[in-house]
Amino acid sequence: MAEEQQQDIPQKEADGLNCLAYDEAIIAQQDKIQQEIATSIPLVSERQDLSVLKREYADDDTIYQQKIRDLQKKYSSIRKTRPDGNCFYRAFGFSHLESLLEDSKELHRFKAIAAQSKLDLVSQGFTEFTIEDFHNTFMDLIEACDKQPSVGELLGSFNEQSISDYLVVYLRLVTSGYLQREEDFFQHFVEGGRTVREFCQQEVEPMSKESDHIHIIALAQALNVCIQVEYMDRGEGGTVNHHIFPEGGEPKIFLLYRPGHYDTLYK
Amino acid sequence: MESKYNLKSPAVKRLMKEAAELRDPTEHYHAQPLEDNLFEWHFSVRGPPDSDFDGGVYHGRIVLPPEYPMKPPSIILLTPNGRFEVGKKICLSISGHHPETWQPSWSIRTALIAIIGFMPTKGEGAIGSLDYTPEERRALAKKSQDFCCDTCGSCMRSALLALSPDSDLRPVDPQAHRLAQQISFKTESSLVDAQTSSEGPSVSTAPSPRQRRSQNQNQNQSPRYPTFTASPAAQHPPQDASHTGSAVLIVLLTLALAALIFRRIYLAHEYKFDYEL
Repeated sequence: MAEEQQQDIPQKEADGLNCLAYDEAIIAQQDKIQQEIATSIPLVSERQDLSVLKREYADDDTIYQQKIRDLQKKYSSIRKTRPDGNCFYRAFGFSHLESLLEDSKELHRFKAIAAQSKLDLVSQGFTEFTIEDFHNTFMDLIEACDKQPSVGELLGSFNEQSISDYLVVYLRLVTSGYLQREEDFFQHFVEGGRTVREFCQQEVEPMSKESDHIHIIALAQALNVCIQVEYMDRGEGGTVNHHIFPEGGEPKIFLLYRPGHYDTLYK
Repeated sequence: MESKYNLKSPAVKRLMKEAAELRDPTEHYHAQPLEDNLFEWHFSVRGPPDSDFDGGVYHGRIVLPPEYPMKPPSIILLTPNGRFEVGKKICLSISGHHPETWQPSWSIRTALIAIIGFMPTKGEGAIGSLDYTPEERRALAKKSQDFCCDTCGSCMRSALLALSPDSDLRPVDPQAHRLAQQISFKTESSLVDAQTSSEGPSVSTAPSPRQRRSQNQNQNQSPRYPTFTASPAAQHPPQDASHTGSAVLIVLLTLALAALIFRRIYLAHEYKFDYEL
């Protein structure tokens, strides 16, 4: 019976195609753009001199050129991430683990926090068997750092789509879990009349959803890692502003934000 | 089955785990992979007791993409039920344009619970949906118990644990139920979007026809977009009807407008003519 129905479909299908041509065009285009991005930009790039930024903007784009010069006073190099909506988590994950390569004391402290994070999620009602693969990937990466691999090896793991995406899923879960645990506080920052839970289901847990202040604060606090973000946009003033999450902390990770995208910075 | 698959593949690892988790039928749902394919499952769900589907047990297929759980499963009902079309992918969460999409921490169980929770909601002409009368649905519910699946061999009469008087009417733990509610809640709002987009050249949220076409040409091909995807045929009757309707309306309104404009011009000329005299 199922086969019979399938044979009917192509005719009816052809009739409906025109009305849906719009969708097809849009989705095909999005698909193409994503593929182009995927082939031209690695998930996490090699470390590059900060001057590469200058080439991304026109020479007479004074606002950006001036701000890049300002940025160069504080930072020497940049590691780019693929602009796929997950860049904050990937940039954060990589630069934090990279910093742990040289700090075994901090590594052990972080390992304990990371192990605890799953228990917290499970006690909040997240289903254990669906989150444990993501958690295991996270723990495996931390364990691997304990063996003092080269930065190249770590970079290799982060450019392995399945490992890299699983890490992003887990960091999203940690962010969501923290936001929901601290619901009373974060409720005031959720836009659009949504509950924190709805916000997490719509803006935090699904892949490719971009991150804002609220995500960064939550992840920084959940994992107890201080993050400094340099904001570079078209605003006047010639200098780059920064925020430290959580405020008053001693930042270990430096990210560059340009509207819609995060990369990692190095002093 | 173990030897056939690469156990390092995240999808295989995860599906093995889900198969173990869902091994024993519950009172409300059961799902297991086919013997020869870990990426195709068959499931049975009990119609919600407080609805027209009371007494029904419905059977269907779940097709998992190779990227699972990063990409969503597709669900296809095989038992006539009056709510979802038979043999068509069900649309629960529409597309990547829409804010509510599949989450990798959801599971096959979440999808099953969503199906159960979704049955009593209105189809409202949505893709893959049917709006049969309560009588028809009740008749189908009764009949559904006679269904035996040729592929997986399960018979609906014995597929699930029998309901006992003290059974919980709610199929699941609160967490899963909450997730299920979220999916169905979203579906309804996304349906509205899909409908409006078919009326105007705004950014559309409907699933891609290419996707549907490719799914029809090759059932095994995995869906590329966040789905629980829709079926093609299901959408056409209402759409064609509304298109003919709106075309007729547009022609009539244009004619009426033209008539008014001509009348106005005619009157204006007459007036001017009088004035000059």
